[in-house]
Amino acid sequence: MYTPKVAVLFGFGINCDHETAAVFEMVGGKSTRVHLNSFISGEDELSNYDILAVPGGFSFGDHLGSGRLMGNRMRFSLRDELLNFIKSGKPIIGICNGFQVLVKTGLLPGPDNNEPDFIQRASLTLNDSGRYEDRWVTLDFNKDSNCIWTKGLTRIDCPVRHGEGKYVMPDAESLANLANNNQITVRYVDPQKPQSDNSNDDVLPFPLSPNGSMMNIAGISDKTGLVFGLMPHPEAIYAQWLHPDFSRGGAPASTTDIQWEGQGLQIFRNAVEYIQSTH
Amino acid sequence: MHVTRVEATPKSGPGLRDVRGDVVRRQLSADHNLEFTAVKTIVGFLINSDVSHEEIAARVDDLFADPIIEHSITNQSFLGNKEIFSQTPDAVVSVGFKPGVTDNPGKAALDGFRTIFPNASLDSNISTYITYIFYGMPQGISSEWLSSTLYNNLIQRSFVTEGEMCNTGNWLMIDYPEKPPQEFKTPAHINLEISNEQLIDISETGLLALNLTEMQAIQQHYRNPEIQQFRQAAGIVEDKPTDVELECLAQTWSEHCKHKIFASKIYHTDLETGEQAVIDSIFKTHIMKPTHDMQNDVDWLLSVFHDNSGVIAWDDEWSVCMKAETHNSPSALDPYGGAMTGIVGVNRDILGTGLGARPIANTDVFCFGPPDWQGEIPDNLFHPSRVLRGVHAGVRVGGNESGIPTINGAIVFDERYLGKPLVYCGTVGLMPRKLPDGRESHIKTPSAGDVVFMVGGRVGYDGIHGATFSSLELTEESPSSAVQIGDPITQKKMIDMILEARDLGLISCITDNGAGGLSSSIGEMAEYTNGCRIDLAKVPLKQPGLSPWEILVSESQERMTVSVKPEDVTAFEKLALLHEVEATAVAEFTSTGIFHVQYGESTVAYLPIEFLHDGVPQLELESEWKIPEHKPFTPPQTADHNTILTDLLARPNIASKESWVRQYDHEVIAQTAVKPFVGVKRDGPADAGVIAPIHGNPKGLVVSCGIAPRYSDIDAGAMAAAAIDEAVRNAVCVGVDVDKIAGLDNFCWPDPIESEKTPDGKFKLAQLVRANRELERICRAYRLPCVSGKDSMKNDYGKGPNKISIPPTLLFSLFGDHPDVRNSATSDLKHPGDKLYLVGESLEELGASELAFMMTESGHAAGIGGNVPLLTDPNRLFSSYRALSKAINSGVVKTAHDCSEGGLGVALAEMCIGGRIGAKIDIDGTGNISTWARLWGESLGRIIIAVSPQNNAKFLELMTGHTTTFLGEVEATTQLSIVDGFDELISIEVNDLVTSWQGTLDLTGGVA
Repeated sequence: MYTPKVAVLFGFGINCDHETAAVFEMVGGKSTRVHLNSFISGEDELSNYDILAVPGGFSFGDHLGSGRLMGNRMRFSLRDELLNFIKSGKPIIGICNGFQVLVKTGLLPGPDNNEPDFIQRASLTLNDSGRYEDRWVTLDFNKDSNCIWTKGLTRIDCPVRHGEGKYVMPDAESLANLANNNQITVRYVDPQKPQSDNSNDDVLPFPLSPNGSMMNIAGISDKTGLVFGLMPHPEAIYAQWLHPDFSRGGAPASTTDIQWEGQGLQIFRNAVEYIQSTH
Repeated sequence: MHVTRVEATPKSGPGLRDVRGDVVRRQLSADHNLEFTAVKTIVGFLINSDVSHEEIAARVDDLFADPIIEHSITNQSFLGNKEIFSQTPDAVVSVGFKPGVTDNPGKAALDGFRTIFPNASLDSNISTYITYIFYGMPQGISSEWLSSTLYNNLIQRSFVTEGEMCNTGNWLMIDYPEKPPQEFKTPAHINLEISNEQLIDISETGLLALNLTEMQAIQQHYRNPEIQQFRQAAGIVEDKPTDVELECLAQTWSEHCKHKIFASKIYHTDLETGEQAVIDSIFKTHIMKPTHDMQNDVDWLLSVFHDNSGVIAWDDEWSVCMKAETHNSPSALDPYGGAMTGIVGVNRDILGTGLGARPIANTDVFCFGPPDWQGEIPDNLFHPSRVLRGVHAGVRVGGNESGIPTINGAIVFDERYLGKPLVYCGTVGLMPRKLPDGRESHIKTPSAGDVVFMVGGRVGYDGIHGATFSSLELTEESPSSAVQIGDPITQKKMIDMILEARDLGLISCITDNGAGGLSSSIGEMAEYTNGCRIDLAKVPLKQPGLSPWEILVSESQERMTVSVKPEDVTAFEKLALLHEVEATAVAEFTSTGIFHVQYGESTVAYLPIEFLHDGVPQLELESEWKIPEHKPFTPPQTADHNTILTDLLARPNIASKESWVRQYDHEVIAQTAVKPFVGVKRDGPADAGVIAPIHGNPKGLVVSCGIAPRYSDIDAGAMAAAAIDEAVRNAVCVGVDVDKIAGLDNFCWPDPIESEKTPDGKFKLAQLVRANRELERICRAYRLPCVSGKDSMKNDYGKGPNKISIPPTLLFSLFGDHPDVRNSATSDLKHPGDKLYLVGESLEELGASELAFMMTESGHAAGIGGNVPLLTDPNRLFSSYRALSKAINSGVVKTAHDCSEGGLGVALAEMCIGGRIGAKIDIDGTGNISTWARLWGESLGRIIIAVSPQNNAKFLELMTGHTTTFLGEVEATTQLSIVDGFDELISIEVNDLVTSWQGTLDLTGGVA
């Protein structure tokens, strides 16, 4: 079986690089933590890898808007490499700060029909509460999405840990377009309601929606389904013992052979298996 | 060079809002009951560069503004822009930094500016500000007052436009903060052949914090003909110190660095027992000796006392270390900056342990004045609610941006913390036992000839005299230069780089730059090789003009001192370049026996290492214990215990701190198994943090703490014992392996040296003696080595009759093994039918209890006196802890919660809150003492557990021989009911408990 090579970016305040590297290894990938400058200087090359992960953190302290400065470094110094990576059908994930970076570079949600043009079309801004918070949310996945990362997922619990996670777009039309394209991959939902009842686009009350995101958007993918970003942290529920209900006997079980596996791991396995299926 | 102004302000429209403005509006409402119609904000940048206004204007939306959500404007202000701000505001306040103060957004903006304009002048700089625009200002408040709630004049500037000036559009615009050039002073020579009064005068006016004996020891040094001879040979003034030397000695000999009180010889008198004793160093006698004795019995104590933190073996591959520090004085003057440097500072202690450990968890414990304080505030200080807000924000930003989860902590309130808040910050570190090159990572390996780098931030005027300043009491004249603002991102880059350097085998020795700056960091490391030579001219500066002594002692943040073998210098520098971390070779280790400091070619300090580190004379002090007098606490004849319960739950010391704690990232690194809040709605209190730091491995580490300052009112010895027992109890509740626990002792005391300004110094010192004697007794019984600790001994505000002294306070932090995090117990009640037991005994101990304080404050009792909780038989308690821990680790017990403030009643209420479920309790069997003591007493060593019916017999078997009393059952109701035989005491809805417990400290103003 082919072992996909995963580049896990770090540097400048990214801080979920260790666990992000670890979860890919748990599902059969080979992770390397790569400093962004190694790609920019040419010491290492993005094309050496099959998967790119931009982990969570506080790149540049979120100053001038979360993800903005990191996004600029990528947009202005790594543009061709990123373009080639996407054109060769390789998946990218951005989690939390990584999602913010991908949105600010313009890779998410990306243009409708063309290859990436690095134009910002959405933003992630300050939570309506005005506060950074760490709390658990429940997420439902879009079963009609073509996103390779979320295949087969329906509902999971995982933590959000951000101060700027409110997804916004400049007008109703672009939001509607995003929905019609099935690019709204994952949304905050009320765990008390079954999945079919969660099609409501009205913003859920705090804390069901931790940030006031438009249409309760927690994560989106690009048109190809290869680039995926989300504010919540699926890597933080790689094991059931990390679930807050674990001591109550209430942590959701895994459907895989790994008995202790938590619900978040499948996202990373999906990408690894996707690469394996193309080799 | 010219200044370009750029402003950005949030767009309005469906789903968009000005969140920064909303936060200010809500806080004014929450803190002051002031309702504004709206508050809007503008973020401003003042760009001092050679790039033209036009070029900047063309790229504004690429950098300074987010075009999706913000309007931007270049070279003018939005104020007066009628398209965006159509209404005329009532007041406008712009807040920016004073010249030279760390401006983190400005620094980040400059980095982004260079990405876009790579050819911009290297002298370019960016300063930021925020403008608040107020609409619908309530009557009776002034704009100046409004402005005072938004900034701290120690570090910031504020420009206010009000009333008529708003109508006429006469806006006061904030300008670029130009730092006046610093005057370089060549080292002065200080004549010490003067009178004793003049010696003291030099110490006081120079903020040296040295006493007469110490000044005389320095005087003697320069009279020594041998010293004079070798000084002459070295080409430095032979018979008097340079200012560099005097400052260096003051830092190294400061109470902060040398712990002179803990090292002193104490003549102790106990007026209660008639005992007379001489204690030659509290530290060596009561802390070091017991730990060294325990080191003989176990193989896992790898490094204690001498390094930046204590290190214990965790398994064959990994070791863990922990350290806690205080940052009290800076946090009093600038709560945000002071607390932030506290947390990022202790992170560096971990990074500087052994050959470098990775910080993996933070803890923080704060002591503040009452959040609802109505009385006077000391000059120059802030209201406790503002201190709380600022300290919390500083620790939040410092921890979150560094990517280190905050997994445990506490907040304690007492009036006496008004004069000085206590800000304890702790960090746990993880390191591989062995590096790839085979060296054991907890052992430093420097040798003469190694090159010494300063890594990370630059040196500035900020943070001069922090160590000596914290060794003095606070006054209204306390200097602003002692305060710094941390820069977590610069530090995070440095941490990333240093851990890579460690794994590449490039580091031979490392320590952090904290108190005393380079003087301490290089000075301490030079002890290993017995010498060093520093060139201060090589040290990179934030602004030119710093004098040599200032460079040597400045405590500017985010700096590590790292030594590297000459052959590794190139690789080390290359790594620094990759990470964009500044690393400059500033010194080398020697074996000359001399701490040798040069500025370029000229020698500015030449001190024998031995004199520098061991030359400080031992203090000789007197202590005298007598029993403090308090009116006894006598509870009323009758009472409504339902109301007492809800009142206690609402007391700040007991109330939920969730709205604050939830703002800390407690889960980054994906390891936190027991989080700060637990239960159905994840809002019940956790007793301790549990992490599984190796991904995929459920072996865990427990982190807990204990603190009980108010017991000092009756006996500081009982206070110390209670703190230690609470830390252990908390850890036992989650299932720590009691045979592998280690502790940290952090003492914060009021000045215990008798003097004119401290007439009760002998008593305060006796309190310290009693606390340490109890610490030794309990730690020996619990086989709990203290592997690291710290003391802060001058926690007073002011002098004379209005002096405020903190209650003597020991924070005891604990870290220990958890065999398998999957067996962790939590405090929330889980299933109807589970049986509740009290492990431990309740005694008639209501003295200094939260109940006694509450009823005394409300006039329902005469005083707080009486029996304070004591640990009479810690050995017996410890064996019951071991039995309970075994029951938890075998999976038999899933629910456990410790009894502390508010006793059994409050603990049961918290367990019901966590489970959102009822319980039926009878306290009849819990001892032949008063109902009050059984229900609200705070006797130590008690834990409430719940066990399922099927595990009940197994549990009782495991607890054979240990006091275990059946209390009742978890019920499928929403009601907590407590009876004492036939007497009904409490019958209350769980939701009412939630309301009381959560209401008090939610000062966030909600989310609307």
